[in-house]
Parts: sequence; C-alpha cells; structure tokens
Amino acid sequence: MAKISREEVLKIAQMSHIELKEHEIDPLVKQLDAVLSYAACVQEIAAQVEIASNKAVNVWREDQVIPTDPEPILAQAPEVQEHYFVVPRILESNQ
Amino acid sequence: MNSLAFATISQLQDAINRKEVTVPEVVAYFSKRCAKYQDLGALLELFDAESIMKASNGHGALYGVPGVIKDNICQKGRITSCASKILANYHAPYDATATARLKEQGALLLGRANCDEFAMGSSGETSAYFKTKNPWDTSRVPGGSSSGSIAAVAAGLAQWSLGSETGGSVRQPAAFCNLVGLKPTYGLISRYGLIAYASSLDQIGIATRTVYDNALVLSAIAGHDRHDSSSLKVQPKDYTASLNFKLKDGLCIGVVENALHAEGMDSEVVAAIEDGIKILEQLGAKIKRIKLPAMDYSAAVYFIVSRAEAASNLARFDGVRYGMRAKDAQTLSEMYFKTRHDGFGPEVKSRIMVGNYVLSVGHADAYYNNAKMVQQLMRKEFVEAFAHVDLMLMPTHPAPAFKFGAFGDNPLQMDLQDYFTCAANLTGVPALNIPCGFSSNNLPIGFQFVGPDLSEDLLFQTAFAFEQTTQLFTKRPHGYDD
Repeated sequence: MAKISREEVLKIAQMSHIELKEHEIDPLVKQLDAVLSYAACVQEIAAQVEIASNKAVNVWREDQVIPTDPEPILAQAPEVQEHYFVVPRILESNQ
Repeated sequence: MNSLAFATISQLQDAINRKEVTVPEVVAYFSKRCAKYQDLGALLELFDAESIMKASNGHGALYGVPGVIKDNICQKGRITSCASKILANYHAPYDATATARLKEQGALLLGRANCDEFAMGSSGETSAYFKTKNPWDTSRVPGGSSSGSIAAVAAGLAQWSLGSETGGSVRQPAAFCNLVGLKPTYGLISRYGLIAYASSLDQIGIATRTVYDNALVLSAIAGHDRHDSSSLKVQPKDYTASLNFKLKDGLCIGVVENALHAEGMDSEVVAAIEDGIKILEQLGAKIKRIKLPAMDYSAAVYFIVSRAEAASNLARFDGVRYGMRAKDAQTLSEMYFKTRHDGFGPEVKSRIMVGNYVLSVGHADAYYNNAKMVQQLMRKEFVEAFAHVDLMLMPTHPAPAFKFGAFGDNPLQMDLQDYFTCAANLTGVPALNIPCGFSSNNLPIGFQFVGPDLSEDLLFQTAFAFEQTTQLFTKRPHGYDD
C-alpha cells in the first residue's frame, strides 16, 4: 500500500473541514501512515472472503408531528435571530 | 457510615431499608467522597445535592443507589461535552433513555464521568479537560475511553457507572481496575442520548464492583426503545435471576488460543488467565481450546470501520447550531475550519481524517469495503464457534495498566490496546470483563467471557460463580478509606 503523502493529508483535512497549521502536518502524516499501513492488512484476508453482502433491514414508522418547544434548542446556539441560526456570510467578499 | 463506600448495591439498600441511613445522607456521603478524591480526575462535574435529589423521581430497584454517567450520555439540563472543548457549553435538552430509566428506578446520578474525548482512546489521556488516574496506582492510566466511569467505581465514589463501548471502552478499563465491565449485545441498551462515535458499534456499557450489581443495572436499562431504531425488540427482564452460585450444567467454554498466546501478552496476565481456567474446570466447566483466525484482523477492521463512521458522525460539530464556535471567522467556511481545528483535540482530528481517507474515492475499496467483508467473516466465525461452545474466554488486555505517556511516540501501540476487545463490538455479541487476578506489583488482571447474541444471563451466571470463588471483588485500592 502506498504511503500517505503530505498532499493527501492536506486534501483529507480539506474534506474533513479541519484547518491544519503548518507544524501539525508532518506528525499527522506519520501517524496516519502508521495506522493505514497496519490497516491495509485487511486486503489480504478480504481476498479470501466469499460472503454475500448483508442487507441491513430498516425499521420504519409513520411520520408523526409532535409539537415541541424550540426554545431549549435555540438557547444552545452561538447566535440566533428569531428561529434562525445566524452564521458568518457564505461567500467571500470579492464574489 | 464508613462501610458504605465499597458496599454492594444490596448492602446499601439494606442500610436504607433498615433506616440506618437516609437517601439525603447517602447523597451527602458520596458527594463528600467525590470531592475528597477529586484529584483522581474521575468526574468532570459533581452535581449539587439538591439537583441530584430532584432528578431522581422514582422508587424502584435502584432506589438510593449512587452512580455516575459518562460525559457522552445525555442527562437533561446538564452539560454533556464528550470531554471535548467543542461541546463545552452544550446542555443536553433531553435524557438518554438509559438515564431516564435509571431515574425512574430511583438511582442517584451524582455527576458526569470523565472520558477520552468523544470516547476515542484507551487511557483517558485525551480528555480535553484533565486526565483520570488509576486508583490502584495513580502513576498509571485507568484505561479508556470510559476512564472516569471506571475510576469512580473502583475508588468507592459510586456503586455503578455507565460508560460506552465502541471498541472495548468499558471492558478494558474495568480489567485495569478490578471491576466487572459489560458490553451488551448490540441493540440491547438504547443508544438514544448516547452521542454517536461509530453508530454500528456503539453501546452503553455498565461498570460495577460485582456481577450481581451489574446484572441489576442492566435489568433497569435494557430493552426495546422506540426512540432508537437499532434497539432490539426485547422486553426488559431480571438478569439477576440466573445467578445461582453454579455453572450451567455441561457448560462448555472455548478458550481462544490465538488470543491468549498472541504476541506481546504479558506472562503474568497469561498465568492469571490459565489459573482462572483451572477454577472454571473445578466448578465443572468443560474447556475446549479453539482458534478464531479472523480475530487476528479485528484491530485493523476496527480501525477502518470505526473511523469511517466517526468521520460521518462528527461532521455535525461545526459551530452552527450548538457548542463552540470559533470567533472572528469572516466566512462560513473559515468558521467551520477554525471551529473544528480549535474545538477537537489531536486524536479526534486524526481519527476523522483516517475515516474520510478510508471512505474516499480510490481508497474505499482497499480499506472500507474490504473491512466490511472481513467484519462479516468475523461474525460468521463467531456464530460457528458458538455452535460448539456455550461461551468463549479470551484476554481483555495484553498487560496490566500502563504508565501515563507510555505510548507517546507510538500511537499505533495505543490503538492496539483495543485488540482483544474490539472483536465483540464488530460482531455485535455481548462480552463481560471479570477480574481474575493481580500482577506482582498489585495491578488488576481481568479476562472476558464472550457469548452469543442475547446471552447476558449466561455470561452473568458464569461470571458470578467464578467471582464468588475468587472473591477478588473484596480487594480494594489503598488510600480510599473515609
């Protein structure tokens, strides 16, 4: 299995919505590489497995509207306006 | 009053029923102990006496019995932070089903137990707040991730605790601290209100000093819950009914040889387990030595599956609706990245990234899809094994509790602490850690019984007979007297 590269780690951090500071990158590359190198052994044994895929069974119920007080939920939010969660603007200022 | 700290649930309830002590006095006594031994780091928060009394509204099987609940299980109105900064100010708006059922039985919920952040760890060292110490040797870890839950019960600060299991996080610390630790059959205890790490593996687990106490707590919280669609359609029942001081007639136990003699096993642990096997034979068990080849891959499968699910579950922590939000972000995107960088500790971030990696295009086949295949192979091997044995026996841990920082340079070694325990989580079957001895430097050693689906009563029955023979639950760590 190819070792994980610095570029891949940066790409994964982007996908995970986690900022990485410069000094955090190399230790992370090492750590991820160790775990992934170990985990790659599943390929060996998986090649021998002949089991039909297990289809999980979903548990369904009818939708039920239950009046609920939104107050305790909204009270947790960092910033709220009426029943909206307020966040920083989505677009960059030059877009 | 000074005999209450290490009393069993029955002993405590007898004292209450004989009016030797009132429930408010029990609250005061244990609160005082929790405060006195604060340095152990077992609790993130000790609740005030008034709110403890108010929250406990029932008069049932656990009336007046104090316990603590891991910080990833919701207690209504209390901070539930998963030992993370990202949820430092999150107040649970509802009770987990397990919490609600304990309150209905009259249990006293003393506080929030410390743990590894988001239940990711095997030592308690990754709590964003402070680490928990092992009462048996405070220079060592109590194990994790349910570090505080286990340390509290081991030190006589509570009679029972709830922890959570994803890869062994109740059984491993229980083994490190001389406790009985249960991971139930997947779906037996509702996950409603357990903040998710890996949804297909997570279960609430129970830690106590004795088997009977563990069975009593399970009886209070097990059973179908309509709020959790993964909960089994099983009725609550009395798990203490099977405890008759004997083993089941003709009980056949399969000792998993490739686990017991795996590389890296501490020789004292192996010796203690072999001694335990002899005791089981003397009690009438038939012992078979068996092999489970797929177990050798269980850690690798666990790494992949758990981290993939964690990456998905922890995507919700983004600073929008609750919890910490990074300040001074100019855009929404910047807010997400900064919040998750600042709010999550290094281990959590690392696991999220591994999870996204093993799910990503170009890697999913090699890692995630293969891991799911091997998981099915493991399940098949376990089911086949149970056609020939009633229960399996294997180590819970390779060596007794390690010193703080032991795996500082080698996080993979830390992850491998889950090696023996994660197989039960991956296959969904129940498993119970039971103390079986002590090392030459007075550190607890445990092993685990693993049973087929919904065999908790057989696990408890077997463990009870074993426990009553060894009497290991009467040993206490030094320095926790009143």
